Amino acid sequence: MIEVQELRKVYPGGVEAVKGIDFEVAPGEIFGLLGPNGAGKSTTIGMLTTTIRPSGGTARVGGFDVAESPLAARRVSSVVFQEAVVDRTLSGRANLELHARLWRVAPRVARERIAELSGALGIAELLDRPVGGYSGGERRRLEIARSLVSEPRVVFLDEPTVGLDPRIRHELLEVIGRLSSGSDLTILLTTHYLDEAERLCDRVAVMHEGRIVALDRPQRLRHALGRELVELRVRDDLPATLAVLRAHGIAAEDAFAVGSTLTLPLRDVSAGEAIATINDLGVASAISAREPTLDDVYLRLTGDRLAPAA
Amino acid sequence: MTALAPLATLSRRRFQLTARTPRELLVPLVTPMLFALVIAPALKEALHTGAAYEAFVAVGTVGLLVPLNTMFSGLGVIVDRENGAQRELLAAPVPRAFLVLGNLTVALAVTAFQIVALILFALARGIHFNASAAGVGWFTAAAVLFAIGMYGTAETLANRVPKQEEYIARVPAIAIVPWFLAGALFPITALPGFLTWVARFLPLTHGLALMRYGLLGDASGLEHIWRMSNATAMAALSLGVVAVFAAALTAVSIRVFARAALR
Repeated sequence: MIEVQELRKVYPGGVEAVKGIDFEVAPGEIFGLLGPNGAGKSTTIGMLTTTIRPSGGTARVGGFDVAESPLAARRVSSVVFQEAVVDRTLSGRANLELHARLWRVAPRVARERIAELSGALGIAELLDRPVGGYSGGERRRLEIARSLVSEPRVVFLDEPTVGLDPRIRHELLEVIGRLSSGSDLTILLTTHYLDEAERLCDRVAVMHEGRIVALDRPQRLRHALGRELVELRVRDDLPATLAVLRAHGIAAEDAFAVGSTLTLPLRDVSAGEAIATINDLGVASAISAREPTLDDVYLRLTGDRLAPAA
Repeated sequence: MTALAPLATLSRRRFQLTARTPRELLVPLVTPMLFALVIAPALKEALHTGAAYEAFVAVGTVGLLVPLNTMFSGLGVIVDRENGAQRELLAAPVPRAFLVLGNLTVALAVTAFQIVALILFALARGIHFNASAAGVGWFTAAAVLFAIGMYGTAETLANRVPKQEEYIARVPAIAIVPWFLAGALFPITALPGFLTWVARFLPLTHGLALMRYGLLGDASGLEHIWRMSNATAMAALSLGVVAVFAAALTAVSIRVFARAALR
């Protein structure tokens, strides 16, 4: 449903925001682009939604090349933007009807879809009020409803929960999760929230400085780091400590460090054995064991922390 | 549904937004009302001129009304970009030119409403117009084409400047300065020689001369530009100038919008 090959974007001034990425998204799949601000996620969505001109490579949405057939690509897709993109002085219903007319939905079908979606998203009572009076969560629900009025084959969600309070964010994740279940709707979402990607996405591509540095199912990405890992705060010289731990079979090649914190994916030893050995060596001021997260995957791949816990 | 249905949808949206912002309709109407009801009679009194001068100024006021109104309409483009649904429209399966043309149709409709209001104020004030059906045609063509060109200017500027403040700061230079040079209050031959030449190149000068030819049957404005004797030929030439202005600025505005929208 989405095919991206060698896609590049160089902005005027020479900033290369996307450096030749490749991925495919199957019909009905929820695909996440994961990465911190500046990783190239929004630029990628911009190119797929034809609001940013690619500098190289190709991208197809619903079978249509975004550079050669932008109208056709836009006809089969919808976008929910990171920030509010609504006519605030108009009612919610007017915003939905506008989308329906622009996407050439027959009026009777549009009325039915608006009634159905506004009920499903819990905004039916608000529809005839100006959008300027909606809360952030209500407005985001309206925008999701709007993106679905035209029954698109692909929906792009650009940071759909950013700026929302935890309760609304939780509710919205449920809504998004329900969208594609039992349908062929393909969703491409960008996020820097790890839990969001793990919870929603069938597959994720981790982006860093314009490149995709990993692409797989969230669980498989995590399991690539082993079933457990140990995190320790190193007391003295980090390289020397790492060498000692390697010599004792605790640290492997995929150990990684951020500041004075060393993270050791465990494969051949248990967390208990590793902690006991580290304590005996006296090289750590603090030790803990836990399951790997996507944050660890990202750190391992890039040396940066992806995002604070949401 | 026809291929132009999305254009009608975009025009309807712009109209809904405009109708919810009464200042867009009313503020530009204040100035011409002042001119028609207060300033033109006062000028007539102070300058000891006759009814013909009041009619001269009433038409000249159209030359201020059109730029002011179209520049106000251009503000809506910036509001759309900063706080509105412009990105949703850019993601819609409609040609980007329709977004500009949808705004243009509403700007034209609002401008037409205001010109009609101005003419009615003038008539109510006792100003006499001497217009034939053909004259109304010349007037309408000149007013519409000039308004299209001015909206193109406004849309272009709105897509070139990042903030409303910067846009508003440029409005006097675009909407008001040419009005003083284009023969709105006095014939362009009353200007210093080099400014008379400058005035001959302003689309507004041609537009006002045409409007006066159409509504007052006065071809002197056209003669001051072209120095010819055939009024119809001069009117056709001036209409050509205003048409080129309209076509060029519309093309430029669509191009600038599309380039600004597609980063």
